[in-house]
Amino acid sequence: MTLSATVLAELRGIVGASHVHDAAGDLVAYARDATPLFSHRPDAVVFPADTAEVAAVLALATRHRVPVVPRGAGSNLCAATVPLRGGIVLVLTRLKTILEVSADELLARVQPGVTSAALADAAAARGLLWAPDPGSRTVATVGGTIATCAGGLRGLKYGVTRNYVLGLEVVLPTGEVIRTGGRLWKDVAGYDLTRLLTGSEGTLAVITEATVALLPAPASANTGVAYFPTLADAGEAVARVIRAGVVPATLEFLDRACIAAVEDFAHLGLRADAGALLLFGDDGPPDLVAAHLDRIGAACVEAGAVEVTTAREVAQAEALLAARRCALPALSRRGGMTILEDATVPRPRIAEMVDRIDAVAARHDVAIATFGHAGDGNLHPTCVLDSAEDHEAVRRAEAAFADVFAAAIDLGGTITGEHGVGAAKLPFLAARLGDDQLALLRRIKSAFDPAGILNPGKLGS
Amino acid sequence: MTGDVFDPQQLSRCISCGFCLPACPTYAMTGDEASSPRGRITLMRALQDGTLPPDDATLAEQASFCLGCRACEPVCPAGVEYGSLLEQWRVHQWRGWRRPLVARALMLLVERRWLLRLAGLARRAARGPAATAPPTAPAPTTPTAPASTAPASTALASTAPAPGATSATAAAPGSAAPGGPGARLMLGCVERGLYPAVSRAAHALAPELAVPTAQGCCGALHAHNGDLVGGERLAERLGEDLPGTIVTTSGGCAAHLASVLGSDRVRELSTWLAGRPAGAELRVAGRRARVTLQDSCHLRNGLGVFAEPRALLRQVADYVELPSAATCCGAAGTYSLLRPRQSRRILDAKLDEIEAAGVDLVVTVNPGCLRQLRTGLRRRRSAVRAVHLAELLAGVESP
Repeated sequence: MTLSATVLAELRGIVGASHVHDAAGDLVAYARDATPLFSHRPDAVVFPADTAEVAAVLALATRHRVPVVPRGAGSNLCAATVPLRGGIVLVLTRLKTILEVSADELLARVQPGVTSAALADAAAARGLLWAPDPGSRTVATVGGTIATCAGGLRGLKYGVTRNYVLGLEVVLPTGEVIRTGGRLWKDVAGYDLTRLLTGSEGTLAVITEATVALLPAPASANTGVAYFPTLADAGEAVARVIRAGVVPATLEFLDRACIAAVEDFAHLGLRADAGALLLFGDDGPPDLVAAHLDRIGAACVEAGAVEVTTAREVAQAEALLAARRCALPALSRRGGMTILEDATVPRPRIAEMVDRIDAVAARHDVAIATFGHAGDGNLHPTCVLDSAEDHEAVRRAEAAFADVFAAAIDLGGTITGEHGVGAAKLPFLAARLGDDQLALLRRIKSAFDPAGILNPGKLGS
Repeated sequence: MTGDVFDPQQLSRCISCGFCLPACPTYAMTGDEASSPRGRITLMRALQDGTLPPDDATLAEQASFCLGCRACEPVCPAGVEYGSLLEQWRVHQWRGWRRPLVARALMLLVERRWLLRLAGLARRAARGPAATAPPTAPAPTTPTAPASTAPASTALASTAPAPGATSATAAAPGSAAPGGPGARLMLGCVERGLYPAVSRAAHALAPELAVPTAQGCCGALHAHNGDLVGGERLAERLGEDLPGTIVTTSGGCAAHLASVLGSDRVRELSTWLAGRPAGAELRVAGRRARVTLQDSCHLRNGLGVFAEPRALLRQVADYVELPSAATCCGAAGTYSLLRPRQSRRILDAKLDEIEAAGVDLVVTVNPGCLRQLRTGLRRRRSAVRAVHLAELLAGVESP
């Protein structure tokens, strides 16, 4: 579609001419986000300054039936911010003020364009912790983090974004501004719209302010690493850790292919003969952390670890964490295109799931390496292709991932643990939710968005 | 279909993860994807595959708006060589008459060696007889005591400039003869034109360096302003002028030369001086001086050099790290001349931070940054002064 001159003029009237971009090049830049294989140009890119401007733009869009796709930094991995039906991309990066950090109430109020890392820094300056820790935290906005209910490396001990959203100010597609929840830990007045909106991927309303819960920052943290002959042994170690009564802050794994890729890339001295690497860590008072790391190490040895090392100093802990952090870059440098997925299974079934992934990869003749969050069963099978231009290989990879998602559901898991549905996982959603639940999602969507203007072609469509 | 603007391999490396966004000064300024490294690569791809016409206005604007600071490179998980892609982009965008006039004039200027020499001579003459001391006079300092000419209590007072920088045979005793293997000091266009004291100070610190005057421009200016072929040609010619190791006082020149001649041929001054014994402590108003470093973007992001100059500064002064030390100051080669408004916006934020830090000096390792910060601080009548690392270590400063 193209926007009429009237709509463009009205948009310029609302946000100011310099905050409406509609040159061809500007539209190309907003045709995609961090998700490979999805691209579609919007018709205009609009940068509102405040809630009132967001409300005016949405009311206008509903009146003229123009699609609107809210966007933060565009770092999501499910094509949630690709404007598949054109229309307006509503960029919220100008709303970037941290309105309040309260150490007394353990909360912060922020605008949606603040990055997750900036909020974490502001919290840390007051001795507090903003717990959601997605890999994209330096890039991702708080608005996007909430809209996708992002997870991250601390899921097992700290949960995910939804556990930290106390209240939201959102603009409905029809232009009304509502506030859900607030500065309260207890509040059961009405349906829990805060939770419904968290993870709604910009399909129900546009977040213009968030009140989030903070925690006292842990006094210390430490990390260790264990190598296992097989991933099944690492899975057994995870089970023993949990059984030992420890819920670690960090419990990450790399499979054999990831270890090789990371070692090739970063030369960290990882053991090439290991079938799996388990990175573990905890935070809290130093004595407790030391005790927990001892118990985790012992559980690893009992499960058959061939080597267990605990960092003796911060620099060493950082080096260990680097092995996990550079898994994606190390893999991505092996080819011209990287598809990162996030199927999730119940924790005890990780090893089984990785075996299934390996079998799927062999069947479809694609290379898939797997790393992920062993603590919460969230796997990141990653497919590296030589080139995005090799359409036959891309097709094989897509077929392989369809099988991976089916395998996850078969093991009692889900098609996405933390990346979101967006456009990328929509074809698999019915298999996960069933027709009745999907129909309910659509009715919820139309209750919020009767004209269907907000992020069409995604969740709820 | 434009097809051949970019090396397809380099262009395909980007996985569009967006990790570059928070590192980019122009994205910080606008919050606009189109002015982020990832957005610009999307634009480059649209140019390469014909999605956008070659003369698209956004392409032209974004190729120019980019500082070219390469802060996106160290944070890139996929190893995208953004600086190289930008150079290729500007070859296309700034072809023929489209190249900004100021850039064209500067490129013509630095290609003419006699003009460079003239600039240096004219400046020396203007500085009076002291500055035109016989070129063969011995260097006043030794490598083991780099700052020995600086009286401890008045280290910032100007002392007699080290000679030799414009001599045809200025090799210090014991250094390699011109033409043979060994190490030579590159004089640099901007240093010759504006800051000859920087080269004199560098030679005082490293008298073992030969200083042939028959040397031209390194070509960084050309490479960054849409003339990659010219940039390579000039770098290769400079490589012939200065056989052996080339030591430079300019981080930007070091990165460009390394990209053409190989990093084993090129040393930025701080890496050349690294590990030498410290000179005298730098004192201001009866106390140890407080200094901070402004990184050279290409030195840090292109060559990974940032620890060495800090280590040298810590030896002689109290070092204060500013949060934005690694972020561009807005000089960015010709950027401060081509886009003064945006350059000034970036600079102002940096100057606020410098002035709030309570430092005596801000130290640079690139003449462009020196000019940018010195101009900005003077405009504010700030008590903080900008100096080149060589000047500080040698205990001299140019007016």
